[in-house]
Amino acid sequence: MRNSVPTFKHWQRSLLGLLLTVVLLITGCQQAKAPDRFAQAQQDSTKRGVTAVAKDATQGSQFNKYFPKPGAGYERVYTQEKKGFSEAALKKDGKEVAKLSISDTSSLPAAAAKYENSSQTIAGYPAITMGKTQTSVLVGKYQVKVLGRDPNFSQAEREQWISKFDLKGLSKLKI
Amino acid sequence: MSKTIYELVDELPTDGMTVKALNALDFVVPGQWQNLTGFTNTISAVTGETDDAMIQAIGERAVYLYNDSSQGYQRAMWLYNTVDSAAGALGAAALANKIGQDISFLGFLGNLTPKPEKAQSLDLAVKLVVELVAFCQINGIPGDSIGDFLAALGDYGGESLMRMAALVCYDGLIPLGGGFIEKGMASITQTSPDELQKNQTFKGVSDLIPGGNPAGQLGFITQSFDSVKGWMGDFVSSRNLTQQSVLSHLSQVIQVSADKLDYVGAFLDVSVKYYTHTGTQTLARRLIERAVAEL
Repeated sequence: MRNSVPTFKHWQRSLLGLLLTVVLLITGCQQAKAPDRFAQAQQDSTKRGVTAVAKDATQGSQFNKYFPKPGAGYERVYTQEKKGFSEAALKKDGKEVAKLSISDTSSLPAAAAKYENSSQTIAGYPAITMGKTQTSVLVGKYQVKVLGRDPNFSQAEREQWISKFDLKGLSKLKI
Repeated sequence: MSKTIYELVDELPTDGMTVKALNALDFVVPGQWQNLTGFTNTISAVTGETDDAMIQAIGERAVYLYNDSSQGYQRAMWLYNTVDSAAGALGAAALANKIGQDISFLGFLGNLTPKPEKAQSLDLAVKLVVELVAFCQINGIPGDSIGDFLAALGDYGGESLMRMAALVCYDGLIPLGGGFIEKGMASITQTSPDELQKNQTFKGVSDLIPGGNPAGQLGFITQSFDSVKGWMGDFVSSRNLTQQSVLSHLSQVIQVSADKLDYVGAFLDVSVKYYTHTGTQTLARRLIERAVAEL
């Protein structure tokens, strides 16, 4: 087979060239693609024994009684009730204006840790405003958050709705 | 390994048969459905947050929540996917080499077999139950809570309401006509547990249908259908929906022929994956809503 290279026909050389180009193109594209921004979270969250919700987190059904009562044109529709989390939509004239939620921070300690630097309080509880739409307080290990869903739902309204939760009752919840 | 939640949302098509068929139902639920695709895009749209670090944090928490199998989100995704592929399994093999393309109805006619009315009715009922069970998985209420589901149906909006509109129109009105609710009910009550077990759509999802055994599951399906038939009836009558009106809107975006009506249902079964599409959107929305609230 010593003579195999010289016997390469023209079309074989062209094919080889084409294949090389394709290989280079493919590897080039792969290098150009930005690393996926959620790939690390995907990898970490699928490791053996990793869960998103703490084993001893309070059931969401325990939280419902501490939510603000509907009325005065406002409707309250519960949307999720999972272990460690409960959420309701706050609606006015049939339109969602905010989301109301209670979560157990034992699943996500960083959620509780952020209050350590907070100087703000609502109804006596450490409070934080985050992003464009979020206001929350920490009541024991529970976070109570109001998220604006309508651009007109102001920070003042978010604070007002936080104080409409039965925060005192929630502070006594021991599970 | 199965796909990540962000891949599933990133890969939602922006055009094609499913998107066209759903857009055709805008007249049924005006303005309710925009085809929201892309994971970070969905995070911004759902939360109103635009800061990149905030979007990253929300996305990462959503990934964790989805991957915690005890939370039920993956089961809901499996249900939405499976019910779509099981219903269209018969024509799927012929369709396999046409993925991502628009398929012409007439060109595909030779590969289609119209489903008998009974199988079509069972499909409708099983799909309805899948919505109920997936709803319970996503929202965290017990899997057989027909009452909770009924209460929530009245509050359905966005892509969830669009999914129900597609169920009524594409699995009810088009294949079975104006009397689809009565036909559906009659078919289920005449079905034996044995027959149910042979239904392709049921076979696909039976593991997650409450009831314990085929007889119990048939009972659950019957009870669910019976409970939701009032809602479906109102949905149709309040919007003056008819087989003709749905077909005429559908034929504006997808070429189908009214004289081959038997085949249109079969064609939709294999080419339109509306449960997977809107189900992924619902799931992403719920995950993101929870993620941002927990941060």
